[in-house]
Amino acid sequence: MGVSSRLKKSFQKFLQRPGTTVDLAPLRKRLPAIEALEEELKELDDAELTERAGKADDFTEICAVGREAARRGLDQRPYDEQVLGVMALLSGKVAEMATGEGKTLTAAIASYGHVRQGRGPVHVLTVNDYLAARDADWMRPVLTLLGLTVGSVTEASTPEERREAYGCDVTYVSVSEAGFDYLRDQLVVDIDDRVQRELATAIVDEADSILIDEARVPMVLAGTVPGEQDPVHAAAGLVKGLKATRDYEIAEDGRSVAFTTDGTARIEKELDGIDLYADENFDQLAALNVALHAHALLHRDVDYIVRNGVVELVDESRGRVAQRRRWPDGLQAAVEAKEGLTATSEGEVLQTITVQSFIALYKTVCGMTATAVLVGDQLREFFKLEVAVIPPHKPNIREDLPDRILATRQEKEDALVKEITEAHESGRPVLIGTRDVKESESLATALEAAGISCVVLNAKNDAEEAAIIAEAGKRGAVTVSTQMAGRGVDIRLGGSDEADHDEVAELGGLYMIGTGRFDSGRIDDQLRGRAGRQGDPGTSVFYGSLEDDLIVRNANDMIPPSPHMDLDGVVTDERVDYAVGHAQRVAEGVGHEIHRNTWRYNVVIEQQRVALSERRERLLTSEVAADMLKSKFPDETGEIDDEVLNKVSRSIALFHLDRLWAEHLAYLSEVREGVHLRALGKLDPLDEFHRSAVPAFGKIMPEIEDRTVDTFAEIDEVTDSWEPAEANLVRPSATWTYLVHDNPFGSELDRLIAAVGRRLVTGGK
Amino acid sequence: MLSAFLSAFRTPDLRKKLLFTVAIIAVYRLGATLPSPGVSFSNVQKCIDIMESGATSGVFSLLNLFSGGALLSLSVFALGIMPYITASIILQLLTVVIPRLEQLRKEGQSGQAKITQYTRYLTLGLAVLQSSAFVALARSGQLFSNQCDQFPIVPENTGLPMWITLVALVITMTAGTGVVMWLGELITDRGVGNGMSVLIFTSIAARLPSEGWAIKESRGWAWFIAVLALVLLVITLVVFIEQAQRRIPVQYAKRMIGRKMYGGTSTYIPLKVNQAGVIPVIFASSLLYLPQLILQFFDQNDPGPVQSWVQNNIVDPASWIHIVIYFLLIIFFTYFYVSITFNPTEVAENMKKYGGFVPGIRPGKPTADYLDFILSRITLPGSLYLGVISILPNFFFIWLDNNQFQNFPFGGTAVLIMVGVGLETVKQIESQLMQRNYEGFLR
Repeated sequence: MGVSSRLKKSFQKFLQRPGTTVDLAPLRKRLPAIEALEEELKELDDAELTERAGKADDFTEICAVGREAARRGLDQRPYDEQVLGVMALLSGKVAEMATGEGKTLTAAIASYGHVRQGRGPVHVLTVNDYLAARDADWMRPVLTLLGLTVGSVTEASTPEERREAYGCDVTYVSVSEAGFDYLRDQLVVDIDDRVQRELATAIVDEADSILIDEARVPMVLAGTVPGEQDPVHAAAGLVKGLKATRDYEIAEDGRSVAFTTDGTARIEKELDGIDLYADENFDQLAALNVALHAHALLHRDVDYIVRNGVVELVDESRGRVAQRRRWPDGLQAAVEAKEGLTATSEGEVLQTITVQSFIALYKTVCGMTATAVLVGDQLREFFKLEVAVIPPHKPNIREDLPDRILATRQEKEDALVKEITEAHESGRPVLIGTRDVKESESLATALEAAGISCVVLNAKNDAEEAAIIAEAGKRGAVTVSTQMAGRGVDIRLGGSDEADHDEVAELGGLYMIGTGRFDSGRIDDQLRGRAGRQGDPGTSVFYGSLEDDLIVRNANDMIPPSPHMDLDGVVTDERVDYAVGHAQRVAEGVGHEIHRNTWRYNVVIEQQRVALSERRERLLTSEVAADMLKSKFPDETGEIDDEVLNKVSRSIALFHLDRLWAEHLAYLSEVREGVHLRALGKLDPLDEFHRSAVPAFGKIMPEIEDRTVDTFAEIDEVTDSWEPAEANLVRPSATWTYLVHDNPFGSELDRLIAAVGRRLVTGGK
Repeated sequence: MLSAFLSAFRTPDLRKKLLFTVAIIAVYRLGATLPSPGVSFSNVQKCIDIMESGATSGVFSLLNLFSGGALLSLSVFALGIMPYITASIILQLLTVVIPRLEQLRKEGQSGQAKITQYTRYLTLGLAVLQSSAFVALARSGQLFSNQCDQFPIVPENTGLPMWITLVALVITMTAGTGVVMWLGELITDRGVGNGMSVLIFTSIAARLPSEGWAIKESRGWAWFIAVLALVLLVITLVVFIEQAQRRIPVQYAKRMIGRKMYGGTSTYIPLKVNQAGVIPVIFASSLLYLPQLILQFFDQNDPGPVQSWVQNNIVDPASWIHIVIYFLLIIFFTYFYVSITFNPTEVAENMKKYGGFVPGIRPGKPTADYLDFILSRITLPGSLYLGVISILPNFFFIWLDNNQFQNFPFGGTAVLIMVGVGLETVKQIESQLMQRNYEGFLR
């Protein structure tokens, strides 16, 4: 690069212009060379190809060999665009590739490239177990031809299976499982129990979903706490009889609920006139609050489903059952009590890490998704990742129709049924994306009533996804799904065998109908992307009603009382269009804010975790603990065999270290809960949080030593019988007690102006 | 505080930030002393000397304080950070009135970015207005209350038509404001502390050396040391009171956790003794400026009995009546301001929403009443303290029997602002340090 372009680049970086994406020109230049090399490789037989694969070094060779292997292994020659994607991934970027462009194969070749360039082992992080297993099996032929070993990890894998899978060159694993294994490895007492090797390279599939949407929720390793009472069932019973607005109020943003004075009085009467706010009734109060939250804010078939007698959470952004997730702090038990199931026990937090920090542990990170540019700024801010937009192989000819908004929910449903019937009559396949499980089922019922047979795919039957989705492009298919249809198995026209491809294309291709805008424009785009893959024709349209949650919650005051409508009842008012866009932007803004706050408050916790884990590493691998005990108890330790002493001292010290860390995490979450109040004293909540977190951590180290010494003094007989309790991984759901903004009161200036504004506005009326 | 700075220097990360901030401050001071094109530097110096030995009006001295002496000399950064602060306040007020702006604000970061952009445009607009006003004032001699007419700041004999000079002046000062805005943001992003506060601090602190030296020159070493000692005493008092807070414990009952007692003091509402900050002082000063403004309309050379009485007793900062009125106004405004910015009902509502309550007090109205009660009791010492600190300079007028020190930066508003900014910055540095002190952590 010349001096002037280098200056220009560094100046641009200085200005930090948002919205820039990676320049693909230098990568494109290699394409002819890659093609030329391919011609050569066609001559080699399989064994020779593998040998050649073991020697490839630079991008050109890697891409050429990878392409040839894909051609032989899968009978698919990767397009130029996929090769560009491979190179982008090898450069550590996030590649934006449209649906159906063949991201999986791109990732496989890129894994090979990473290994060749010395950055192995590679973890391909997927959204769930099913995809991890499927992708591993699918890509195995290609990777084996390239001389690599492939493994996959699912929730059901045993520790030996995991160790084996992680021992391969390329491991396909879901983010949750990878995080789980990492956290569990951090708690082992014997270094041979570890399953993972180093964290070298991560290729993140559905990068925006994992890195941005999931990043709001930390990964938590929770251990069971023995002997818990169950005030939850009693509380659930009490709360059931309460009425909204009279006994409890739901906050405007729909994120929290509280008893009114009436409600509190009613409950206190039920409980024989106790004072709920007295010190001794604190647990009772907490149980009631949690039960109220479960009763008023969490709805069946919207936020969770009940399957096989178990409450399973539905991931809001993906519409699938969220793997390894439960609500924290007794909320899960409250929901179970509400549904009349036995309450599963709560765990205490043993270890925690955010998705962000976990990904940051990898030396190299890259990823791919169909919707990256929309979160490009966030990717840069939190992960220092740049986005490379790879153009589609065949230009996109999908028709995106403008939104159709009706006045009421019923009208919307009627219009939907009418539209679907029309499309179905011609034989055109229709895919409907609804907001939640409930809506999908009610729409399916309405369609059945209108005489249209349809297939439903939602969180309840997500195991059948492959079978159902693959056939969604068949002639005459009507598939009602939630947003889970947006990502995953490819939808080909004419069904998975593409038998009627041309016929369906004649009819106009897949018709994607959304029943309402989602909380994020990305989810909308993902759904749209299902129609019109690889240059196929297709149409997409979003319906909506003025009664939709999104609008009611975020833009209610912006809807004019009598908007302009056309003869079919479709609203054509500009103001409403703006309001809908605004509502979505607000929802996205909220998501971003939660993400930012999760991240900011986690920075210091992560540093402490790293510092402590280094200490733990030393305890685990050296004699430090034994030495310390020897110096404090020279007589007693003299009698014990060195080997045994090592093991026992290590166990004791590690046990106390883990316990103290768990207590520290609990303390920090308590501080976090109330730190926003300090904004009232013109203090910065984040600084105050640090001010509490750091000294508390400083006390841990000496405390470990003290407790170890005490425990050792107490044991009579030294055997190696120290076993900490079994640990289970469980991910808490959305940060339900944490505020969106860490300073809900606003700065002093905000409050002053709000006060003035109040007077102005009310005084004027 | 000193140890915090020293440790900060040892951390390479923080050292870079500190040095960066110092560099930006240096650039700012440079621009503040750089005269704009068309301004006669020598004449400005002469005028300032004349002003310092005569009586001046309160508001101009306040403005001069904030701009660090740059205003009177019409330097490139003359307007300082004030247009940006004014624009921010205006835009925030507009957010309440204009629904479109409020919607933008709700849209999170992207909406806020747009609002910030509007603020920046408005700043430039205000800068044009303000610079034109000052240039006009300078031309007419009003800037120095007509005491300096024989030394025009913007001389006529430059060979260029006057209008070109004036336009150039306005453009320069507006551009200067733009640059100051950028410098402030640079400090916030890459330096230490809040950019705007740091720049205000710089402006005020810039006056200290010259004022201090002026005291020494006119009154000798004994007075100088006495003043210095008094100043240190005042600063200590201010720091002490600014840190003072009444903590109201709060418990949260939203989650069911295996509850361990963490000493119970981890969650609280901190109510500062001086909850109002320095704003009441500014309000009171502005109000007290009114009589002087009114007096301007009457004939200066032939004051009637009413005007004279007002001049000598209310306007004159050394008169007892002035001091008493000032004191009472400050107390009043403190209560007023606290009542506006701290809404006990809203706080109680918020607590209730998230399941928090003060132990022993029911949520909702009882909590709001309790908070109100505590707040009004604690505001009394706070307001008294503000009053005392603010009237200190006036005592100097009396004792020194001389109006040399109207820009006295050693009392009142100046100290309050400087200490406030200083404390805020040190806290930030401490907090950043805490995050980084794991380097030498492992045994």
